[in-house]
Amino acid sequence: MQVFHIRYRNAQGALMRILNAVSRRGLDLTSVHAEYVGQDHAVTLLLEVSQKQLGQLSREWYAIVDVIEVRSSSVLRGRAEPAWVPHPPASESVVQQSARAALA
Amino acid sequence: MLKGADIVLRCMRAEGVDLVFGYPGGAIMPLYDALDGSGVRHVLTRHEQGAAFAASGYARVTGKVGVAMATSGPGATNLVTGIADAKMDSVPLVCITGQVRTAMIGTDAFQETDVFGVTLSLTKWSRLVRTIDEIPEAIAEGFHWARSGRPGPVVIDIPTDILKAKKEFSGPAKFTPHARPAEANAEGAFTDTIVALLQRATRPVALVGAGAKLSEAIPELRRLLDDLNIPTFATVHGLGAVPPQSLYYLGMVGMHGTRAANTALHETDLLLVFGARLDDRVTGDPTRFAPNAKIVHFEIDPAQLDRVRACELPVIGNLVDTIPAFQAELRHASLPDWSGWRAVACGPERAEADPRGLAQPTMRFLDELFSRLPQDNVIIADVGQHQMWAAQRYRSSSPRGFITSGGLGAMGFALPAAVGVQLAKPETCVLCVSGDGGFQMNIQELATVHRLSLPIKMVIVDNKYLGMVRQWQQLFYERNYAETDLSDNPDFVEIAKAYKIHGWRLNETAMAEFPVSAETGDLIENFLRSPEPELLVFDCHPEANVYPMVPAGAALSEMVYGDE
Repeated sequence: MQVFHIRYRNAQGALMRILNAVSRRGLDLTSVHAEYVGQDHAVTLLLEVSQKQLGQLSREWYAIVDVIEVRSSSVLRGRAEPAWVPHPPASESVVQQSARAALA
Repeated sequence: MLKGADIVLRCMRAEGVDLVFGYPGGAIMPLYDALDGSGVRHVLTRHEQGAAFAASGYARVTGKVGVAMATSGPGATNLVTGIADAKMDSVPLVCITGQVRTAMIGTDAFQETDVFGVTLSLTKWSRLVRTIDEIPEAIAEGFHWARSGRPGPVVIDIPTDILKAKKEFSGPAKFTPHARPAEANAEGAFTDTIVALLQRATRPVALVGAGAKLSEAIPELRRLLDDLNIPTFATVHGLGAVPPQSLYYLGMVGMHGTRAANTALHETDLLLVFGARLDDRVTGDPTRFAPNAKIVHFEIDPAQLDRVRACELPVIGNLVDTIPAFQAELRHASLPDWSGWRAVACGPERAEADPRGLAQPTMRFLDELFSRLPQDNVIIADVGQHQMWAAQRYRSSSPRGFITSGGLGAMGFALPAAVGVQLAKPETCVLCVSGDGGFQMNIQELATVHRLSLPIKMVIVDNKYLGMVRQWQQLFYERNYAETDLSDNPDFVEIAKAYKIHGWRLNETAMAEFPVSAETGDLIENFLRSPEPELLVFDCHPEANVYPMVPAGAALSEMVYGDE
């Protein structure tokens, strides 16, 4: 199970576009929680995804023009705080990792 | 005080719009009422889908935003295929739709459709305008998103009462996008890695897609390829980005790509992708796509990365920025000698065989046609066998010279798209190549062609079948030609005549002689040189197939070359 935390500008349809990226893949949403956070909005989604879908979803969400930030974490039983991992646009550290992997 | 409709048009003028395509109706009548004197020319198509495709053709050939207008309900839903096409092919398209009165929204009023909801998953951005005050910002933001980054379609839905309302207009709005985290490797962090990959590579290749054109990075790309000297090929949307006469250019890649391109792509150990989505028509079986290669993917849209096949190094950004950064690093590097690889990949044993089989006359016909086109030309292909034949025979180095519905594969695209192209390029020879199936899907646009006296040269490759589907039925469904027989087609020349357009007919037997007879040559010349719209029906063999072909689910190395 994966938990996604997406910060977005609450423009018309922004949340629906985020959810549509899930529904077009036929994935079941276990939990959706959207709320106002500071100047923006945020939605937390809980769903079962494959490793490939994790990357695809994160990038597709990021391609939505009103999405500001996408983070994800595995849900581990008994763990209080998820370890959030940023998703594209990748941070410089991710680019470095990618470069190292490419040269491996 | 200005009406909402006037404000819409003034804001569109501020975005550089002087031409829109559309079809009037109840909810959008106030906008039509305001057109006169607005500085925005409206072209009436005969179906809203035609308007969307015409706007798409205009946008594809110019790089500007194309605009389509339609009324609420069926008018708006008829735009949907054009919107989906624009999404797939990254076309900057803005659709303005009328909506029922604000107070009636949600009541299932006459001609009410939730256009915002219907198009939500197909648009890059959309807005249901709720007050007249929102119009300037909605137009500014819509045009911004349509043309920025990876271009795409936008829908702005405006209730009719808002179009009729009045307010003081203080001028068009400016839109500033909200801040997002800085995108990775926009500056040269990636370049030394690519150079290191190149230095280790023994069989590098480059794949060019539509992104090279959309980002206006053709000069940068060509300079880079001149420096790299590696085998290069293009997707159907990348055709023209690389001059076909380039020494190491291998043609089109993918399902109906060339033997040389697909083989090199299968054998490569380093694939540089420039602005291509790597969709299934390009990759074949993704698990066996470029099986030995590391992939460096230059892409503006992060959502396209790793979709079909994971890449080792994503380079996110506009090619106009990323290619020069790469090339600058390359100038200081010494690269391996790839002459042996080039000799194999670009060698004569992999060169395309002359066309043969039942498709030979059609290929010859297209060769005759294309070779006689004036230098300044644009070819618009519909969807199906003729599309692939045309792509295979396309030999121009004009980046925006070959236009087709590649991603969505929407039959009926070509004729209305040609209307948009011809209006954008009045002096250009516009050749529209359709099949007999697709032509009938938007045949009503012959009226638009006639009304505007657009000198479009329309070709129907008539095999009296839905040819591509029939080909698959032949190859994969034991010749069960279920519902693909179009042998009762109308007489297209007579149809054209009814629209006051001159028609010609040419049978494939005319292509038996090669070069063609003087009579056939004259017919083609007269067809192309006419200052009027012309229709030419080319009767081809019903069972002609497109080869080479990578069967669905096969690897690129498993190409089929003929019926035998």
